[in-house]
Amino acid sequence: MSRLHAAWLLLLPAFTPHSGYGQDPARLQQWVAAHDVASIRALGRPVLPKLVQLYEAARDDSFKARVAQTFYELGWESPEAKRALMRDVHTSNHDLRLQVQWALGRVSNDQDVVDTLIANMRSDSNPLFRDKAACALAYDQIHLSEQQKVRLFAALIEALGDDKEDVRRIALQALQIHTGQTKGFDPGASYADRNQKVKVWQTWLAQYKAGL
Amino acid sequence: MANVARTIQGRFVAPLIGVLIAAGASAQPQAAPTTLVRYSFDDDLIDTGPDTFAVFQSGKGSVRLSLVYRYSGYRSVEIRDIPGDKEFPELQGYFPLRSKGKLYLHFAMMTTDAGEELNIALAGPKWFALRKDGIAFWLKTAGGYLTAISDSMPKKLFAIRAFVWYVVDAAYDIDAGTYDLTIRQEGLEKPVADVRGQANAASQPGSQIDKFSFIGDTGTDDSKVVYYVDDVLVGVDEAIVHQPFVAPGRRKLFFDYWLSAQQERAAHPEPLPLMSMADLGIGSAQTATLRQDGAGELLGQALSGKLATVPDDLPDRSRTILQSVIAWRDGARALRDAHAEVALARFDRASQLSPSAPLPQMDAVLALANLARWDEVELRLAAIVPQWRDDPRLPAALAMIGLARGDLDAVERQLREGAESRGLLAEEYFLTLLWKGDAARAEAFAESMLARASASDASLWRERLGDAAFLTGDIQRARGYYDASLAEHPRPRSVWLKLSDVYFKLGDLEQERTYRERVYGALRAER
Repeated sequence: MSRLHAAWLLLLPAFTPHSGYGQDPARLQQWVAAHDVASIRALGRPVLPKLVQLYEAARDDSFKARVAQTFYELGWESPEAKRALMRDVHTSNHDLRLQVQWALGRVSNDQDVVDTLIANMRSDSNPLFRDKAACALAYDQIHLSEQQKVRLFAALIEALGDDKEDVRRIALQALQIHTGQTKGFDPGASYADRNQKVKVWQTWLAQYKAGL
Repeated sequence: MANVARTIQGRFVAPLIGVLIAAGASAQPQAAPTTLVRYSFDDDLIDTGPDTFAVFQSGKGSVRLSLVYRYSGYRSVEIRDIPGDKEFPELQGYFPLRSKGKLYLHFAMMTTDAGEELNIALAGPKWFALRKDGIAFWLKTAGGYLTAISDSMPKKLFAIRAFVWYVVDAAYDIDAGTYDLTIRQEGLEKPVADVRGQANAASQPGSQIDKFSFIGDTGTDDSKVVYYVDDVLVGVDEAIVHQPFVAPGRRKLFFDYWLSAQQERAAHPEPLPLMSMADLGIGSAQTATLRQDGAGELLGQALSGKLATVPDDLPDRSRTILQSVIAWRDGARALRDAHAEVALARFDRASQLSPSAPLPQMDAVLALANLARWDEVELRLAAIVPQWRDDPRLPAALAMIGLARGDLDAVERQLREGAESRGLLAEEYFLTLLWKGDAARAEAFAESMLARASASDASLWRERLGDAAFLTGDIQRARGYYDASLAEHPRPRSVWLKLSDVYFKLGDLEQERTYRERVYGALRAER
């Protein structure tokens, strides 16, 4: 039955920590490598600066990716973690890039995180990175306020007008995941049809904004 | 045994009856309204189960009966969320699926802190997500306001006050996907909210409904709300024949629910597993082409679902291969998600791009079986079976098609020879015998499988022996097998529920409740 119960979590998966302190860097490193997030979570938020240190000191991208994955799973806001992750948000290392893109929205609600992911979604040369940036925008912006969500939606709606069909499609998917709707927008439709549906989305956004 | 008739105070029923009568007056032809759900929490009709409600309180929060506050009678339900425990408490109720017509929801609620988040929803088979058949009606508190989520956006209704009862009445039009909502505050004449024709949560006409839910936060784990709910009533504008309760909390035995679920699963064949690249028409020539074009890594991404589109700058010969793989992969995903029409289109697209690929063709047949388009199944199957003759997946595919068609004799013939050597087929064969009513042969088969099973598989086969014994009416023997199966069972939930049935049959209602409440929880009074 826990599976049924967890269905509400589709809306917003995020957890907060237990209190505790006393991290040993070597042990922390082992836990990160072993993906033992439960032990790390038990240390509470004071573990975040230590994790940032581990991330910044790492010479191995695959280990950095594991630290990024840990940030993702902890889901705790951290300006330091955001600053460290943002340095790798354009890395060409496949695994690290994906983990960083996914983790960013779970450590920060800063506007530049959303802006950067939107830029990656629209302009990265690798379609996989574009696609996964859209995933991050759809699922992982867990700390946004309602006003910040409006800005995210506005950027996604703007991306519906992108020249590239795959960008329009993934932007629509992200909007659909947030709202459950497409408003009839078809990424492959004619320019005129698409433009008409973009206006429907813009009207919706104006109403959303007005209601806050 | 639970009594279906549930007592409710007149003060509570009166407004809803008014709504139902008004609805009946405007509807042509007139239909007799039916109550689907009615809980006052003042009587002893609080058995949890699949046809009543479930209580989740695995964290530090709680859902319990309260004598401290109530809107009517002498008890209500208190929902208390605790931040930081990684869980949220929930009262989740069930009623027969509604796909059309009108549905009326009525309840009273009182929060003790206007600033803390709570969420109340009606949802359908897709659970609590913004999508068709997901959340239909959704109220939440946010920033001190009671807010309705309508057309995927929060709409403030009014500033909610603590320690004041509010009575909520919603008339929900399933076909239109809209609702009228009236909320009255205790002691005030005029409603504090009265909105008409609101789009449902995700603006989805025809969104089905079969459950309600009362929780704190939705997973952010930061709410410390304590709130009270009383007099929950769900009604519809037409006469419905309810099946009677056959045991506490359920209108069918858990065993029958389980058996139906297995049949439902069998009626929807899944895609066959990929065994080699040749399944997708990728031989050495195609592999070399992909390598030459620098697309080898993209093939891995396409197969694992990490590639949604093929880069524009790739040569056409590699683009075609990858597009075929993506189409097949999308089809397989759609078929698993029960979107057979979409799956069929994607499999056909994959076959069009890669005509020599056998797997999309067979998966297309399985999609057609899902859609019960039997003439096309026969036609396509006849065309492709020769090239599948030596493939070990063919018997499984034919058995799945037979099960979907309900042709159990054919399935048995298909599976008899290979069943003992293959895990999946063995389970299908056992179930086929059960569905045919041949419990004795099912039991004998299960015993032969138990004799050669590993420790974890042994638990599953003991459970199946219990199933066969239960069906033959040997309840004591079924209990023995189920008890034994719990030792190393990987998923004991089904066994707990079957044991609840066993103890119900044996007249031990204490044990019946113990096992039922392991899954559905318990609603008890505060101490």
